[in-house]
Amino acid sequence: MPQVKIIAKNFMDMVAALPAMKLDKLYDNTFICEAVLRSLPPLAKKYALQMLYIDVPVPVKSMEEWVLPDGFSKHRVAIDRLIQLRVFIENTDRKRETSYLLHPKFKSNLQKYLVYGGVLPREPMPSNITVRLPTLEELDAYALEQWECFLLQLISSSHAERLTNFSPSMMKVFQRGLLSQREKGPRLTESGFQFLLMDTNAQLWYIIREYISNSEDRGLDPADLISFLLELSFHATGEAYNINTLTEIQRSIIKDLADLGVVKLQQGRKESWFIPTKLATNLSVSLSDSSSRKQGLVVVETNFRMYAYSSSKLHCEILRLFSRVEYQLPNLIVGAITKESLYNAFENGITAEQIISFLQQNAHPRVAEKIPSVPENVTDQIRLWETDLNRVEMIPSHLYDEFPSKGVFEAACEFARENGGLLWEDPKKMRIVVKGEIHMQMREFLRHQKQ
Amino acid sequence: MASITSKLYSDDVSLLVVLLDTNPFLWSGENTTTNSLSFPKFLTHVFSFLNSILLLNQLNQVVVIATGLNSCDYIYDSSSSPTTVESLENGRMPALCSKLLQNLEEFLARDQELNKDESPPGIASSLLSGSLSLALCYIQKVFRSGPLHPQPRILCLQGSSDGPEQYVAIMNAIFSAQRSMVPIDACVIGAQHSAFLQQASYITGGVYLKPPQLDGLFQYLSTVFSTDLQSRSFLQLPKPVGVDFRASCFCHKKTIDMGYICSVCLSIFCLSLVRLTLVLLQLQTGRGRLQNPSSILD
Repeated sequence: MPQVKIIAKNFMDMVAALPAMKLDKLYDNTFICEAVLRSLPPLAKKYALQMLYIDVPVPVKSMEEWVLPDGFSKHRVAIDRLIQLRVFIENTDRKRETSYLLHPKFKSNLQKYLVYGGVLPREPMPSNITVRLPTLEELDAYALEQWECFLLQLISSSHAERLTNFSPSMMKVFQRGLLSQREKGPRLTESGFQFLLMDTNAQLWYIIREYISNSEDRGLDPADLISFLLELSFHATGEAYNINTLTEIQRSIIKDLADLGVVKLQQGRKESWFIPTKLATNLSVSLSDSSSRKQGLVVVETNFRMYAYSSSKLHCEILRLFSRVEYQLPNLIVGAITKESLYNAFENGITAEQIISFLQQNAHPRVAEKIPSVPENVTDQIRLWETDLNRVEMIPSHLYDEFPSKGVFEAACEFARENGGLLWEDPKKMRIVVKGEIHMQMREFLRHQKQ
Repeated sequence: MASITSKLYSDDVSLLVVLLDTNPFLWSGENTTTNSLSFPKFLTHVFSFLNSILLLNQLNQVVVIATGLNSCDYIYDSSSSPTTVESLENGRMPALCSKLLQNLEEFLARDQELNKDESPPGIASSLLSGSLSLALCYIQKVFRSGPLHPQPRILCLQGSSDGPEQYVAIMNAIFSAQRSMVPIDACVIGAQHSAFLQQASYITGGVYLKPPQLDGLFQYLSTVFSTDLQSRSFLQLPKPVGVDFRASCFCHKKTIDMGYICSVCLSIFCLSLVRLTLVLLQLQTGRGRLQNPSSILD
C-alpha cells in the first residue's frame, strides 16, 4: 500500500514516516512498542489492547460495529494512526474484504509485558560506587538551568550568559525556521514565537526532531537515535547508569543530551555515569497531544495586571513578547497586558488564542482551580483587540459601470454569480463589482454579448 | 442518570479501583460456573489486566481492594511503590504480583479469623458495601489532591450473590458515587446476575457484564473495561437488557416486589406495622402530634 507522505509535524509523525523496514526493526525493542502504544490516541490504544490476543484477522466491518455513529470520526483517526505506525497491518483477501491484524513483533512484545511486567532496560549502579548523587531537587534545577540556557542561546546569543557545547552549525540547524536573518540581526519568525509559547516537552521534542533529521547528514542512523530516546524515557529519574552500557552511537549523543538538560553526566574515580532527569522520563508522557501537567506560575488579574512567580530570564523574555514587563523582583515578574504590547505581539504573528492558551496552561495553582483560570474580561479583550486589526478586509476587485442595457446587466450579474465572483450589484444605477480573479472572463463574456 | 462527560477531562489518565471478590465459599468449588475458573487462573487474568492498565499511560494508577466475607482491605496501590530495585529481587515475577499476593494472603488469614464464630449455610455474600465505601473514600482523597488528578472509576469483580442485608449501605454508596460522577462497572463471574450491581452500573453510568465464557475473562476485561471515560461516549458498550430494581425490606432484609413505604422517611416494609420505629422517634421529639400510628402508613 503506497505510503502517503506525512509532513512531520511532531515526533511520532517522524517515526511514522520511517520506511517500513526500519519501522519493523524498531519494533524488536520492547520499549519502543510501549512508547508507541502510549503515544496513540485513547481509542487507538483500546483497539491495540483488545487485538493483542486475537490471532485471526478482524474484518473492518466488525471493528466499525464497536463505534457509535457520532464517534466515527474519532474511529477513523485512530485507525489511520494505527496503520501509519504499522501497528495494524491491513490485508485484503480474495473476496476484496480488508481486515486488520496486529504487527506480530509488536504483539509478542506487549504480550510479554503483560505477563512479566515492565523490565528496566539497564540496571542502576550500586550506591557504593556512585557518590555525590544529586537529590531530585538538585537534578530538577540542573535540568531547568541547562534547558533555559539552551533556549536563550537559541533565541539570541547575546542574552545567554554562557554558551552550550553545541557547535554553531548545530545551533543554525535548530534556528532554521525559528529565526530569520534581518539587517539589524536575527529576528524571531512567526513560528519562532509560537515555539516559545509551547510547553517544555513540546519544545524538547521539536529540538530532538530537528536533531534527528540532521543526524542523517552526520552519518548516524535515525532509527537508532529514536530507539535510544524512547528507551531513555523508561529509566528511573535520579538513578545512575553506567556509561559502559551504552553503544558507540549512544555515547556520542549523550553529551548533546546533557547540554539539553535531559541527562546529567558525572565522573567517578574509575567509571562515569549518566543520570536521567525529569525531562527524560517525561518524554513518553508528552508523545501524545495531551496538556502539560507542570506547575504554573502566572496570575492574571481583572485589571490586566500580570504576576509571574519566576526568576528565570527565559520567562521574562516570553512574557515580554505580549505584555509590558514593569518590575522584575527576585522571585516575581510584574507586568501589564496593554493594547500596545498586544498589537506588537500580533504584528509578530502571535495569535490571541496562543496567548490565551499560554496563560491558561501556565496558570498558578491558586487560580488554576477557579473557573475560568484567566478572567473572562481579559480573554475577551485580547480577542477584541485582535479583531481590531481585522476590521477591514480587502479583496481585489473590479467595478463595471455604464451598461448599455438592462439585459446585458442582468446577464453580467448571472455570469458573475455562476462563477462565484459577484461581490456587489446595484440594479438602479446598473453597476456591478466582481472579484479580480474573474475580471478577464467577464471581459470576454461582455465582448461576446456585444456581438 | 448522571452524565460522565459533564466533567471534562482533557486526557485519558485514569485511576482504576478494582474490587476483588475473595469469598472462600465462592471459590471453593461448590458453585458450578466457577469450576471452570479456579482462583489462581482468575488472578492471572486480573494481573494481566492490571498490567495492561498501567501500560496504557505512564500516569495511570491502580488500586486493588479485596472483598472478603467479614472484612475488606486495600491490597495494592500502584502509586505508592517505587518500581526500581524490588523487581530485581523476585526473579521473574514483577513487583506488582508479588506484593499483591503477599497482601492478599495476609488479608485472607485475617478474614478467616473473624469467621470462626459463625458458619452460615450455602454461599454467604461478601461484604460489597464495605469495599465500595473504601473505594469511594480513596477516590475522595484523590479529588482533593489538587486540580490535576486522574479520572477515577470503580470495577467490581463479583461472584457471590447479593446479600439483602447490605441493601441500604450499597444504595447509599451508589448514590454517593453518582454524586461524585464516578462510574461503577461490574463484571459478574458468579452463576447468577446481581441485582445490586445492575442498579449500580445503571445509576452511575457504568457497564454491567456477565461474561458467558470465563476462560476468556482477560479479553472481556480488556475489550470492555479498559476504556477510559472519555472514549466511552464513542463506543458501543454492553447495555443491560433489563435492570432488576427490586429492593429489600428494612425489617427482615428480604428481597420484595411489593411492599409498604412510609411517606415521611421512605423506608420500605413488607408487613404493615403498627409501630413505625423511624417515624415515631422523629415525632416524639416534638415535630408533630401523633394521632393514630397506623394512619401514617400509606
